[in-house]
Amino acid sequence: MSTADNFVGIVVHAGGNVKGLFGPRFLPGVVAYLARHGDGTSPEGTPEVKAVVCVKQVVAIGDEIAFTDDGKSVDGDYLDHAVNEWDVVAVEEALRMTEAASAAGEESEVVVVTVGGEENEEALRRCLAMGAQRAIRVEGQSGALLDPLTVARRLAPVVAREAADVVLCGVQSSDSVQAAVGTMLAELLELPRVAVVKEISLDRADGTATVMRELEGGLVDVVEVDLPALLTVQTGINEPRYATLRAIKQANLKEIEVVEPSQDAPGCYEILRIYAPPRGEGAEMLEGSPAEVAARIVELVKARLS
Amino acid sequence: MGETRPVYAGLSHIEVVLFYGLAVVSTGIFCWGVARLVLKYRAGRREPLGRLVRRASSMVDVVFSHRWIRRRDPIAGLGHLLLFYGFTALFIGTTILGIQTDIARPIFHADFWSGRFYLGYKLALDIAGVLLLAGLTLMAFNRAVRRPRRLGYARPDRRAGEYDRSLYRVGDWVFLSTLFSLGVTGFLLEGFFLASTPQHFAAWSPVGWVLMKWFRAMGLTGSSAALAHHVTWWVHAVLALTFVASIPFTKAVHMIASPANVAVRDPAAGKRLSTIAADAAPEDVGYRNLDDLSWRHLLSLDACTKCGKCTEACPAAAAGLPLSPRDLILDLREAAETTLGAHAALGIRPDGWPEGLDVLGDPIRTASVWSCTQCMACVEICPVGIEHVPIINQFRRQLVERGEMDPMLQRTFETISSTGNSFGEPKRRRPKWTEGLQFAVKDARKEAAELLWFVGDYASFDPRNQRNSRALAEVLRRAGADFAMLYEAERTAGCDVRRAGEEGLYSSLAEANIEAISGCEFERIFSTDPHTFHTLKNEYPGFGGSWTVLHHSELLLELIEAGRLELRPLGYRVTYHDPCMLGRYNEVYDAPRRVLEAIGVELVEMPRNRDNSLCCGAGGGRIWMKEQRPEGSRRASEQRIDEATSLGRLDYFVVACPKDVTMYSDAIKTSGHDGEIELRELSELVLESIGAPTDSATALAGTKVAPD
Repeated sequence: MSTADNFVGIVVHAGGNVKGLFGPRFLPGVVAYLARHGDGTSPEGTPEVKAVVCVKQVVAIGDEIAFTDDGKSVDGDYLDHAVNEWDVVAVEEALRMTEAASAAGEESEVVVVTVGGEENEEALRRCLAMGAQRAIRVEGQSGALLDPLTVARRLAPVVAREAADVVLCGVQSSDSVQAAVGTMLAELLELPRVAVVKEISLDRADGTATVMRELEGGLVDVVEVDLPALLTVQTGINEPRYATLRAIKQANLKEIEVVEPSQDAPGCYEILRIYAPPRGEGAEMLEGSPAEVAARIVELVKARLS
Repeated sequence: MGETRPVYAGLSHIEVVLFYGLAVVSTGIFCWGVARLVLKYRAGRREPLGRLVRRASSMVDVVFSHRWIRRRDPIAGLGHLLLFYGFTALFIGTTILGIQTDIARPIFHADFWSGRFYLGYKLALDIAGVLLLAGLTLMAFNRAVRRPRRLGYARPDRRAGEYDRSLYRVGDWVFLSTLFSLGVTGFLLEGFFLASTPQHFAAWSPVGWVLMKWFRAMGLTGSSAALAHHVTWWVHAVLALTFVASIPFTKAVHMIASPANVAVRDPAAGKRLSTIAADAAPEDVGYRNLDDLSWRHLLSLDACTKCGKCTEACPAAAAGLPLSPRDLILDLREAAETTLGAHAALGIRPDGWPEGLDVLGDPIRTASVWSCTQCMACVEICPVGIEHVPIINQFRRQLVERGEMDPMLQRTFETISSTGNSFGEPKRRRPKWTEGLQFAVKDARKEAAELLWFVGDYASFDPRNQRNSRALAEVLRRAGADFAMLYEAERTAGCDVRRAGEEGLYSSLAEANIEAISGCEFERIFSTDPHTFHTLKNEYPGFGGSWTVLHHSELLLELIEAGRLELRPLGYRVTYHDPCMLGRYNEVYDAPRRVLEAIGVELVEMPRNRDNSLCCGAGGGRIWMKEQRPEGSRRASEQRIDEATSLGRLDYFVVACPKDVTMYSDAIKTSGHDGEIELRELSELVLESIGAPTDSATALAGTKVAPD
């Protein structure tokens, strides 16, 4: 994070009127020098805070891999599961927001939502163990790789029903890396959205949030956005707390609400086939002692240079 | 009526009454103090106590044999032995006199304190007095002249000026000189009495007799000797009564608390950690407040005699890390006193003593809690059975619950939780190390085998350790051993997860492994990893998995003794490092040594060997945390290599633990002893002895670079 006293900030206001399918078109901004970051605390007498966080259970593959018989997915035996790193950070951010409110004696709630089969409840339990109050799973086919638009469509009615002040998503998922669900969801819900957020401070009396986005070259983009809003959160915004396995086991006793998805419209793409790319030609493995390998490299470099 | 002497000789009736009055006050203060101690311990968590007879007999054995006190300091051990027996005999003597004077005579009109009994009594007590003074002299000599570092109150866990332990120093000397004065005045009394009242049996009190001769030579006889006796009697009496009254409040409390702690100690302390109730609230997990401590642990704080053996043995303290097991106990003791004990009741708070129930953070600093390697060196050497390791582990549990831990440790927990191993490797890669073998290792999930090899993370994933695993596999094949492994079904055994304080993760790992193992058909389990070996053998039974578990050194010895390996002597000169989890935790000291003997290598012991082995610094989850290196300090592992290389020219530093392989391979390079000594795992040497090519030999040959 930038140091507080000497960065350039671009302050803009992104109201409900700024939205587009793939990113708000920012109003012409005012360039200003900001003296300090907001510290996230809220003034007294502001209303309760409710945050909804959309999370995903991601998969990790090793160097060996096998595909399902239909060739459209990866064999589950080859996969390890985890909660998407960006989403854990988003849950932590939501918890900090609501904890600040709770400390001020106000009601607050963090609700986590995911789309997928029952095995994805593991991710929700981790979030519950971290401190989220409720968890909702929108039914999805087990093991299926859903496209982002389908995920956003399934999330939308549930998130809308919750009527949160802030909807948080991770910027992207570590397995499919599309960075699309959050933005699509904002469009479906007609919420203003700010992407790749590095700092959030709520001003609930004002009904706005001031968020910061880190740009290239140390520039910081400061955006004031009307609440409710959807923010996609970048890693590094916080160090997420640890959920002990004991707490996760206790979270097993909490009920997870399961919601049937409404009729699916066609997604934005369909997976036809997953396969390992053919091995490229032309690589030569050098073998022998370090001295021999070094000599061979010198030879090769000389040959290419001449 | 034969030989005896009058009790309260030369005292007026009023003086006797005054004495009894003072005795009642003294006893009253003593009882109040003991009651406060009991109340303090009762503030702790309840914990059941069974097997009382076995506990009592073990306590008697430990206390009267002085087995624990004598260790690693024979001089102090002898000193304490002498004064303990002297003091105990004098205490029994005084009790006998009390029974005679205050019970037998007034109630039963019986006099047994006369004649032969009296003469024997006098002689015995004179000898006891000599023992007491000799012991105290030795202790004073130790403290004032020999001055071992551990008796100093320097704290490795605090900066100079941050603490003041001068009160303890005063307390130590007051205690010593009080006992000494009691002994001396006791003898003077004899001498004065005999000088004033000549008796034909005076020689039965040899010391008194010598003093009497001396006093007479100085002209001190008759009424002047009687006056000296009178005055000395009061000095002795007041001193004795003051001492009795002070016992619960001073260093003397160890006379009660230490034997009590030895009796109530957990013999498996640190070796089998406790579980956490499934429905525990986050704030009730582990230790945070003083009243979270079990009553046994609160009692153990008062048992500490500040001997410093724990801190002397601590690898963290040796490496300059902010941990001193002794001072951790003393900090807790001070806080318990000012918050729950007699000090609290009286409103006394000595300067610098902490106060308040919540001790985690201050005075128990989180850096100290995380510096511990859970190596058990402190618990193992403590002469009074204090359980530093489980106490520290309980503090860790609370810190883990709060998420106050090294981010690297947190990531490791998360990695283990998602992949089942600490390397973050996909589970499919676990058996990859076997690919270099000439044969396939049986899959225990599919076929029965005599031996189940629980490989463990380091031996499966770490490249240097994979070589050792392959070496052992080849040795076992040559011996015709029938073994299998769990392949992908194995997860990290969790020994260090538990010791780092993540009990929930540990129990889920244990349950998953027990489920996997239970589905296999085998007779015994073995592992090359002492951590894995330890927890499978001693802690999994608590989760429903009980098997015969061996360390590979034991298995190798068995195969060698059965004549299943053809060994040729290697003729190397080596030293051997005892892994904490194999040695101190499980007392397997001889098996690896006998294997070394069988393969014909000469073993040169390091000064710190067997139970006094110095931890490599990796235990207790330290290997997953960011290393803290205080300026000017040397890692424990580097100090160990210094120790090995100080033994003269050695071929190999032999280890029998995968974490030691990693730690000491590194330490040989960073300690400045690269080239002086090489590391070998036990299996590698056995493989060499049976004449098979080791892949470490081939690997080394492959990477050797010409010096030019």
